Amino acid sequence: MTPAFLSVRDLHVSFRTEDGVVRAVDGLSFDLDQGKTLGIVGESGSGKSVTNLTILGLHNPLFTTVEGEIVLDGQELTTAHESELEKLRGNKVAMIFQDPLSALSPYYTVGRQIAEPYMKHTGASRKAAWKRAVEMLGKVGIPHPAERAKDYPHQFSGGMRQRAMIAMALICDPDLLIADEPTTALDVTVQAQILDLLKDLQREFGTAIIFITHDLGVIADMADDIMVMYAGGAIERGTVREVLRSPRHPYTWGLLNSMPRLDSDLSTPLSPVPGAPPSLLTPPPGCRFHPRCAFQDRVGGNRCVTERPLLAPDRASACHLTAQQKHTIFIDEIKPRLRHGQEDTA
Amino acid sequence: MLRFLLRRSLGAVVILFLLSIVAFLLFFGMPRDPALLMCGKTCTPANLENLHHVLGLDKSIPEQYGIFLHNLVLGSDGFAQGPCPAPCFGYSYHTNEQVWGTLMDRLPITVSLTLGGAVCFLVIGLGTGLIAAWKRGTLVDKTFTAGAMVISSMQIYFLGPLALAVLVYQTHLFEKPAYHEFTADPATWFTGLIIPWVVLSTIFASQYTRMARSSMIEQLQEEHVRTARAKGMSRRYVFFRYAWRGSLIPIVTIFGIDLGSLLGGAIITEYTFGLPGLGRLAVESVFFSDLPLLLGVMLFSATMILLCNIVVDAAYAYIDPRVRLA
Amino acid sequence: MSRSGRRHLHAAASVLAAAALVLTGCSSGGSKTGGDDKEQRQNAERQKALIKFGDAAASKGPAAEVPGAKPGGTVSVPARDSYAHLDPAQIYVFNEMQVALLLHRGLTGYKATSDDGSKHEIVGDLATDSGTTSDGGKTWKFTLKDGITFQDGSAITSKDIRHSVERLFAPFINQGPPYLQQWLADTPGTDYRKLLPDGPFKGKHLPDTILQTPDEKTVVFKFKKPHPDLPYALAMPGYAVVSQKGDTKEKYDKAPVTTGPYKIQSFRSGKSMVLVKNTNWDPATDPIRHRYVDRFNITFNQQYEDSTKALIADTGADRTAVSWQNSVDAGNLSKVLNDPGMKSRTVIGYQPYVGQMNINLSHKAMQDKKVREAIAYALPTSAFQRAYGGSAAMETPGGIISPTVSGYDPSFDPWGKKKNPGGDPAKAKKLLQEAGKVGMKLTFGYINSQEGQAYSTAMAAGLKKAGFDVQRQEVPAETYYDQVSKLDNNFDIFNTNWGADWPSASTVIPPCFDGRAIADGAQNYSQVNDPKVNSEIDRINRVTDPAEAAAEWGKLGEYLVKDVINVVPTGYFKQTQIAGSRIGGLVYDDVIGGVDPRRLYVK
Repeated sequence: MTPAFLSVRDLHVSFRTEDGVVRAVDGLSFDLDQGKTLGIVGESGSGKSVTNLTILGLHNPLFTTVEGEIVLDGQELTTAHESELEKLRGNKVAMIFQDPLSALSPYYTVGRQIAEPYMKHTGASRKAAWKRAVEMLGKVGIPHPAERAKDYPHQFSGGMRQRAMIAMALICDPDLLIADEPTTALDVTVQAQILDLLKDLQREFGTAIIFITHDLGVIADMADDIMVMYAGGAIERGTVREVLRSPRHPYTWGLLNSMPRLDSDLSTPLSPVPGAPPSLLTPPPGCRFHPRCAFQDRVGGNRCVTERPLLAPDRASACHLTAQQKHTIFIDEIKPRLRHGQEDTA
Repeated sequence: MLRFLLRRSLGAVVILFLLSIVAFLLFFGMPRDPALLMCGKTCTPANLENLHHVLGLDKSIPEQYGIFLHNLVLGSDGFAQGPCPAPCFGYSYHTNEQVWGTLMDRLPITVSLTLGGAVCFLVIGLGTGLIAAWKRGTLVDKTFTAGAMVISSMQIYFLGPLALAVLVYQTHLFEKPAYHEFTADPATWFTGLIIPWVVLSTIFASQYTRMARSSMIEQLQEEHVRTARAKGMSRRYVFFRYAWRGSLIPIVTIFGIDLGSLLGGAIITEYTFGLPGLGRLAVESVFFSDLPLLLGVMLFSATMILLCNIVVDAAYAYIDPRVRLA
Repeated sequence: MSRSGRRHLHAAASVLAAAALVLTGCSSGGSKTGGDDKEQRQNAERQKALIKFGDAAASKGPAAEVPGAKPGGTVSVPARDSYAHLDPAQIYVFNEMQVALLLHRGLTGYKATSDDGSKHEIVGDLATDSGTTSDGGKTWKFTLKDGITFQDGSAITSKDIRHSVERLFAPFINQGPPYLQQWLADTPGTDYRKLLPDGPFKGKHLPDTILQTPDEKTVVFKFKKPHPDLPYALAMPGYAVVSQKGDTKEKYDKAPVTTGPYKIQSFRSGKSMVLVKNTNWDPATDPIRHRYVDRFNITFNQQYEDSTKALIADTGADRTAVSWQNSVDAGNLSKVLNDPGMKSRTVIGYQPYVGQMNINLSHKAMQDKKVREAIAYALPTSAFQRAYGGSAAMETPGGIISPTVSGYDPSFDPWGKKKNPGGDPAKAKKLLQEAGKVGMKLTFGYINSQEGQAYSTAMAAGLKKAGFDVQRQEVPAETYYDQVSKLDNNFDIFNTNWGADWPSASTVIPPCFDGRAIADGAQNYSQVNDPKVNSEIDRINRVTDPAEAAAEWGKLGEYLVKDVINVVPTGYFKQTQIAGSRIGGLVYDDVIGGVDPRRLYVK
């Protein structure tokens, strides 16, 4: 088996804070192949964004400790020098953020901000970079790109800003695009347009995408594989079909259960299961999910409290329930309660 | 831009107008007769009455104010001391000199003190603040931050005499502060003002150190700064292009206020170093109940502050394209 | 010297002075009594030499050379207060009077007859002698010298003198001394202005019955009453000559035509003044002035503390600098006085001012003599001394006549202040008990200045010890004298400072203690109206012999302090001045009340 394009192994990220050490990512492993899309879902604070910032080395080195391996195309990133990471960023690996208004600088024109990484990574002249930026703006569907490039972000609409972000991310033809909730701040129609755009561009450039969201509907539309994260670790992983058809973790069940219908209010916060995510300062012992889990009494020997379930490679979930139990519970107890049309998404 | 300047200038004129009314009323609210000062020690009731007439104090306050405004805009030939071209604030009761002339005579001192001081405190304050932000959390940062804290708790009337005692009277490293005209001899102009500049800028710089540091740190946590980093821009580039641009707004705001009030007269600094600038003039005018001078200094200082405000607002538009001038 | 001038300087100091610490020699009395006695004997010695009116021989120039003096050089002068007036007729405050000595000449002047600044006589300056009178002081005749000119070279004639006198009546001349005008018009107060309301500027002139200028050289003053003090009065810079041709009226105040050894090269109010030699001044005509220094650079806005520090450091241009107007500040006083190396460039002397605690006789409670005696015994004058910087800045007083004025008696000390500067509360309490007034309320109005705060607190404490219920009442510095000179004020006691205009108590007792001069805004602060005092004033005013008059004023002053008890003297003001090491001719002149600028030279 050829090594994966991106391979994360046993990643630990912790921050020093005034209250103590926060274990934001705690033993995470996953792979991503070229041209594929990995969807990462989870609540806020589950470690999705931290993981991806860490890939790019954008964590604050003063307060952050990183352990484990991140290998991109054969290059180890956790130990890489800042200058090497700089060469990667925006070039081989690019990122799109959730809120394009605050993610773009208000002080410079859109064109300039798009052109900057191109100049930096290709050594192109200001003029050539500008031309390329205009071209990219056109490609992401901005009308009159030559004029609009001279505008400032505040003169763009929300959707146009996200298109500009995408143009900026793709200007150097990256191999990996990390999209951190790129459509959350947008309304439904624009959201769909942006997702289509991303898919088109992926087809054209062959980019691998890590797509972070808490919206399973979007994941279903975009991703090849899904990884569900909870409290700094992955708790379930598999192809989109597998995870959505036969989810094997009580937390995933909760996620599916809470999925909003397409016509419902998108701003409703995601609360898949009753209770609050655990504190990462003092995570609960054993399974991190056990305080919120309705099924822990079906596991013998109090193992949910004493022993942390591990995620096996490939299709797996980190739960002490047996495979049989998981199957039975999903079919008998969860699936009937899922809203109409839900299972068809996959 | 032109419209903005026009509109703001008009606004400033309105404010000055209101201010002059307030100043006028306040002065007449004082329990002293300004004519008595002019009338002198050997004053007779007849002379006092005559002076009231000459100074127009026998007229109603609105009338007097009208005359004041008229003289200010059009000038006047009605003064015994001689003609008074516009802008005419009249003649000082105390020194019998033309107020506008006195203001212009003192202005270069205040301007020299202010601009020299401003250059120093901007360079020192912003420099140390940027270094502290760049090296956040290190010993350098902690030293600068603590130093700025200590210095900001000091006052000119403490640091000034201390600097004089140590640098001038004991070690003789520097010349005694004095104002020499720039046009006459730039070298002595410079050496005479070094100590005031240094002291003034030390006090002010600490404020800029702290502000530059904190707003740079705040800006560095902005999402757009992270975006710039994510697209591969170097730390230095992001620091100076992205974070710095955002930090400019609070810095320019405070700088505008500082500059305006310093140009209106740095009373304590001028006092400490014996520099007869506008600040001293303001104190003298209050002390001698010298209405024309008082009004002159007050309106002049207010004009300086308002001018600086307009410049600051114009600068906002230059720094932040989201701000629209109208 | 008018208290107004004094008042301005004091109030200015209080408003502008930032944080001049009051400290220095802690013990104000006690321990140094021996030294004080000696000092006072010397003072008395100095004062024994009464001021004579000199004759023609004494009035001849040039002035005797200052020992060791040589010409040339530039002297810098750090000064706190700028000159508001340079027109001689407007000059009446200390610093302006001092610089006027270099710029303006009058009919008479003080000639120093010793090199230590202690002995003087009045001589003719522009006039050939100090004036002659044939009728006991009613008619005075002066003859102008030959060769006297203005700075433009034009001759000074009797026309200029007439013009100078007549313009004193013009409305815009309102800051100078009023004596001559009042005498000519024979009226007190400001009514003299009715004599010539527009001055000489509208074609009217003083009639021959008052002023005669029969020829180019002769000036005759005619008074209705005798005024034997005229030679003194005319020596004030306020009566110096103004050029009739060069009179620019209001503008003259900024650019006068000078007659003295120096002229004004530039004057920028509040900033600086440069004096250079007046080449048309002829030393042969001038018995009282020297001109050694080429140039004086005066810089204003220099605080006492700063000028003192610079002069102590004594480097660069400060070596040829002199603080002829600034005093050594209270904070540096002990340093300056205790450094033997600085002794040769330091001078110390009296200012003409006497501090006095007024007892408001218009208040019924204060009309009880026993109460006044109790106040006089209880009042701690040491508090006043401490507030102003100790014994080098303030001397414990006896009477109201200061050591610089003829008639001063160093042994006069009716309330035992020299032994007990802290007051005698026991004696005071006994008096209060006798009067049956223990615990009586005493309202103490004090000036809200640094000094006022300091002394009023300590004085109130001393009075409390004697059994008074003291209520301190603060009065803003800038309106202090306006408020205490109102007839209807509620202060039982308050301090005022008064300085003589010339070394005779005729400028102290009549203005302050004449019961017929009680008026709103007048200077009879204690509102004393004693028939004996009133009649004595009239009598002594007619005494033509200066020595006899001085002795009589002295007695009257003692009567006031000891028997009338309307004021309790609180201190004689002193000051210390310092110069750079290359300044020669540094002399403290008793008449000027400061360094004599005319004698200075660069070593």
